[in-house]
Amino acid sequence: MSVINYANRVIDFKIVYYGPGLAGKTANLQYIHRCLPNANRGNMISLATGDDRTIYFDFLPVSALTVRGFQTRFQLYTVPGQVQYNATRRLVLRGADGLVFVADSQFERLRENVESLRNLEANLREYESTLDEIPYVLQYNKRDLPNLAPVTYLEFVLNRRATRVPFFEASAVEGQGVFDTLNTVSRMALANEFGGKREKRDEAS
Amino acid sequence: MKPHSTVIQQQDSTRIHEILTHFLGDSGAAEALLIDRGGQLLAMEGVAQALDAVSISALAAAAFSSTAAMARLLGEPEFSVLFHEGTKRSIHVSTVDEEAILLAIFDERTTVGMVRLFAGEASRAVGAVLGEARARPKPQGEFAAPLNEAESRPAWTPPS
Repeated sequence: MSVINYANRVIDFKIVYYGPGLAGKTANLQYIHRCLPNANRGNMISLATGDDRTIYFDFLPVSALTVRGFQTRFQLYTVPGQVQYNATRRLVLRGADGLVFVADSQFERLRENVESLRNLEANLREYESTLDEIPYVLQYNKRDLPNLAPVTYLEFVLNRRATRVPFFEASAVEGQGVFDTLNTVSRMALANEFGGKREKRDEAS
Repeated sequence: MKPHSTVIQQQDSTRIHEILTHFLGDSGAAEALLIDRGGQLLAMEGVAQALDAVSISALAAAAFSSTAAMARLLGEPEFSVLFHEGTKRSIHVSTVDEEAILLAIFDERTTVGMVRLFAGEASRAVGAVLGEARARPKPQGEFAAPLNEAESRPAWTPPS
C-alpha cells in the first residue's frame, strides 16, 4: 500500500520479490545493494539462517525519481522461498504495491516454480486480492546455468494469464536483467498511482 | 489488499505531529514512530538522525505481524502490545488500528508502564486522524494525469 505524504513530498512503495527457494530473490537485492550509491539506498537487512537461507525476509530501501515534486522511494522485500515458511511469506506480502516473481529457469525446478506461483495466488486471496490487481513482472533467473528450459516454454507454463506480464531473462548473481526487472516493476507501480490507469501489461521484453 | 494509497495531507501531518509530541512529553519516551502494518513509516517524532527509522519500521511491522499470527494460533485476535527490553533502550509497540502500529523507544528515564499508559491514548488519537485520512478521496491535482514519457524513464541505470 503506497503512502503519499504531502508534508515531506514523498511517495513510498513496497515491492515484493516472490518465488521458490534458491531462485535468486536475495541475489537480486544483493546486486542492487552493491551497485547503487549510498545516496540512493539504505541498509540491506537479511533475516537468514546460518547457511544464508532467508528465514523471514530481506529488505532494501531505494530511492528513485522525483515525479511532480514527490520523491519516490521503493522498499524492496524478498520472501522466504522454502515451502515450510508460508506463514511468513503471507505476512511479507501484506501491502505490496508491486510483485516480481523470480523463477528458476532450470528444467528440474519447473515444478517448484509452478507451486510457488500457485502459492502466491493463494496468499493473495487471503488478502482478497489477485495478480490482476497488483503490478507484477516475471523474471526467468539463472540463465547462466546449464539445463535451461527455453524461455518460450517458461512463458507457456508461467505467463499464461489473460494478460501477459512483462518478463525478463536474468542472471541475478552477475546482474543481468536485475535492473530491467526493477525499473519495470517500479514504473508499473508508479503508473498505477497516476492517472488512475494501470500500465499496459503486454509489453513483454 | 487491493492496492490503494494512504494519503497524509499537511493538516494530517500537523495533527499527528502534535499527538506524538504530547505522547513523548507525557510518557517520557524519546522517540515515536507511526508505522503502517505493511512496514511503511508514516510519521516519526523525536527521532535522532542516527536511527535507521526505515529499517526499524520494516522490522517492527514484521515482528508485530508475527506475534499477531502467533496470537491467532492461540485463539487470540491479537497481542496488542510487543515489548523488547534492552540494557539501555527498550522498544514498545502497540496497536493503533487494523492498518497501523505505534512504536516508542525509551530509556531508563521512564518506565514501560508510563509508555504503555500514554501509548493507548496517543493511539486512539492518531487512529482517528488516520481514519479520516483514509476515508478522504484521493486528491487529484498532481495525480490526475498519467505519467508522461520523461516520468516513465528508468529510475536506475545498471552499471556498464
